[in-house]
Amino acid sequence: MPKIKDYQTSKHPWSFNLFVELRQSRCSGPEGQIATSIMLRLPVSRALAGVARCKTCLAATNNVRSAATAASNLVEVFVDGKPVMVEPGTTVLQACEKMGVQIPRFCYHERLSVAGNCRMCLVEIERAPKPVAACAMPVMKGWNILTNSEKTRKAREGVMEFLLANHPLDCPICDQGGECDLQDQSMMFGTDRSRFMEGKRAVEDKNIGPLIKTIMTRCIQCTRCIRFASEVAGVEDLGTTGRGNAMQVGTYVEKMFMSELSGNVIDICPVGALTSKPYAFTSRPWETRKTESIDVLDAVGSNIVVSTRGGEVMRVLPRLNEEVNEEWISDKTRFAYDGLKRQRLTQPLVKSDSGQLMPTSWEDALTRVAGVLQAVQGNDVAAIAGGMVDAEALVALKDLLNHLNSESLCTEEVFPMAGAGSDLRSNYLLNSRISGIEEADLLLLIGTNPRYEAPIFNARVRKSWLHNELKVAVVGRELDLSYSYEHLGESTQVLQEIAAGTHPFCEVLAQAKRPVVVVGSACLQRADGAALHSTVAHIAQNARTSSGVQENWKVLNVLHRVASQVAALDLGYKPGVEAIRKNPPKVLFLLGADAGCITRQDLPKNSFIIYQGHHGDVGATMADVILPGAAYTEKCATYVNTEGRAQQTRVAVTAPGTAREDWKIIRAVAELAGVTLPYDTVDEVRDRLAEMSPNLVRYDDVEEANYFKQSNELSQAVNQELLADPLVPPQLTVRDFYMTDPISRASQTMAKCVKAVTEGAHAVDEPSVC
Amino acid sequence: MAAATVRSIGANLAKNLREVRLHLCQTSAASQGARDFVEHHYVTLKKANPDFPILIRECSGVQPKLWGRYDFGKEQSVALSNLNVDQVATALQTLNNAKP
Repeated sequence: MPKIKDYQTSKHPWSFNLFVELRQSRCSGPEGQIATSIMLRLPVSRALAGVARCKTCLAATNNVRSAATAASNLVEVFVDGKPVMVEPGTTVLQACEKMGVQIPRFCYHERLSVAGNCRMCLVEIERAPKPVAACAMPVMKGWNILTNSEKTRKAREGVMEFLLANHPLDCPICDQGGECDLQDQSMMFGTDRSRFMEGKRAVEDKNIGPLIKTIMTRCIQCTRCIRFASEVAGVEDLGTTGRGNAMQVGTYVEKMFMSELSGNVIDICPVGALTSKPYAFTSRPWETRKTESIDVLDAVGSNIVVSTRGGEVMRVLPRLNEEVNEEWISDKTRFAYDGLKRQRLTQPLVKSDSGQLMPTSWEDALTRVAGVLQAVQGNDVAAIAGGMVDAEALVALKDLLNHLNSESLCTEEVFPMAGAGSDLRSNYLLNSRISGIEEADLLLLIGTNPRYEAPIFNARVRKSWLHNELKVAVVGRELDLSYSYEHLGESTQVLQEIAAGTHPFCEVLAQAKRPVVVVGSACLQRADGAALHSTVAHIAQNARTSSGVQENWKVLNVLHRVASQVAALDLGYKPGVEAIRKNPPKVLFLLGADAGCITRQDLPKNSFIIYQGHHGDVGATMADVILPGAAYTEKCATYVNTEGRAQQTRVAVTAPGTAREDWKIIRAVAELAGVTLPYDTVDEVRDRLAEMSPNLVRYDDVEEANYFKQSNELSQAVNQELLADPLVPPQLTVRDFYMTDPISRASQTMAKCVKAVTEGAHAVDEPSVC
Repeated sequence: MAAATVRSIGANLAKNLREVRLHLCQTSAASQGARDFVEHHYVTLKKANPDFPILIRECSGVQPKLWGRYDFGKEQSVALSNLNVDQVATALQTLNNAKP
């Protein structure tokens, strides 16, 4: 047997100086340190040289192959004999994927680092001494990957046999049943009989909070959850302890898995070890109907799939959208769905003479509202739109009030209107886009806590921080973000210094090639919001000039917190209720307005309040008439996310009771009030939306917004006086994250989360059924 | 000339109009005049009418159009395809003077 040195110097046409060493080691767990190191030393040249004569066809194509690779710097490999050109460094698994061949895997996940510890992806490489782990092995020129050879099949069968040796046979009562990788792959690649007579290993279950149910006996130690927690979520809560047969995944000491993205481990767990606690034993994947929809609990507009059965939402799962949420969703998005079944307004209510809200018919409620509206005109009637209203309802309400000659259409969220205000879309959008963060090299966060205001955006920032060395700086309260950052201070003084160029951070900002400045919509609620916006715009403008970045790179960004705000501003709603406070109307129409910006005390004594929405929350309690509307899972509606991306929700279930789609209610009210709106179908409403702002019907697209220069010119004239108050975002800890809107406030699961994070996971411990 | 038209409109946008919406494409040749108008005259116009909504809505491939909304929700629109900046300003003046 020749020495290794010989292979490296040999000039045999088949030798590629292949001396592949792949070493991967990771340490995990709070104190138990597991270091797995895979060392694959493959002197392939020897293997190839020895058997070069056996495949004449491959030898014949040899010359052609080398010519092709020299030209394009790509490597040619073969998947089951079919040639494919791949980048050097591509793994065997990726090369196979490119050819449409799926390699079975458990530990490998394309968004996580490679662990290579489940061994399920073993494949035979022609003339290699033993099968290789496809997920971890980079391809070499000329390899022929055999994905369905006898050796490969035997290897898979063996790995599967070992995995099943300690896996319980409880598939009939397992929540993963029907969508379990282990189940599917054992059917595809496992053997048809068992050779094990011994007892199975059992592992104690862990209580990691009210969202995730653990059945750790089912765990196959793929470590996906651990890698997700440390890489994507940025919490080092999970790890492994013990080794070999005694290896366990968990938190070591019993504690809650404290992450706003924790629910995603349910999706990435290939077996039933981590399942959803609220969903436990409720339905099977083949019983549910899946509706592709959009989340509205924050302004990110995560793409979701709503699973329903028999007119009931059973669960919410993420849907892939690389531009928005990749394949993650926040815990609020995933688990607040039980709030859709509680505190709902199911029938019209009218306040009786005794001051009690009594159920009534639609006919009665609509005629009353129409009667009241007929009697008023101009600014005697006003409307406030809340945070979860769709664009169709917004445009219908705007048309109704405009027909009554009223201009008092407000949103609850404040946005400074001094200067260009909402005239220019670039003023209020996240212009860089969520995926644009991955191209940035410096991020300045101002008065926002993205971790809880937009967890998915925050995950993007973390991804970029981890892989692209994005530098992050924060002006505002010091926060627990999932990445390190430079804290510049929380006073507005800092902002002024940065704008004036006197702050030390300006040097960093000046060196940035692709800077991004993100201001939170929360800090624009302040009395000095206009000055803040103008200062931030000024900083962004300076940064763009100093960076010399191309014209299409946007620096100024606004991160919104509620789903309706961008559509409302696109349509020309006036942000903030200041106008209503100054000029109290006789009739106030609350469209899902539950933030409590306006109370009875702000209005004249005999004023009439109409509330239209889906939950009996803050707004409904002060209303004279309540019109029950539909929630986001019950209507086909348009929402525009903080990037300005219009997306559509779909009808997953019908609205409860006699509740109706919001725009239809407004349409009916308008007709009875004598100002018939010119649309009867949802398509006609959307034509109207296009007349108001064409971008609202460009679904799934982001329309570029420009004119930063004009905005800056106008903002010069704005009062630049900043208040001395520190910039403190309203959501500081994870406790503030769970309950922020009528749906999540009605959710028991979210209430449990709040309890668990304040009192510890044991406080909400329920006796496990299984 | 456009500047003169904008000057003549002055602070009187809110006299008849309640809202102006300008739809334009970010890149198309048909919207060139609308884009020029925003670039050169929007600031002057907004400074003269600080509380008046002039909603500039960019959307790729859209036909440039100027919408005016008057009392009681009445609306009028003027297509601005291939108009130059002066003609856009005139279109705005026409809308401003109209009283449906």
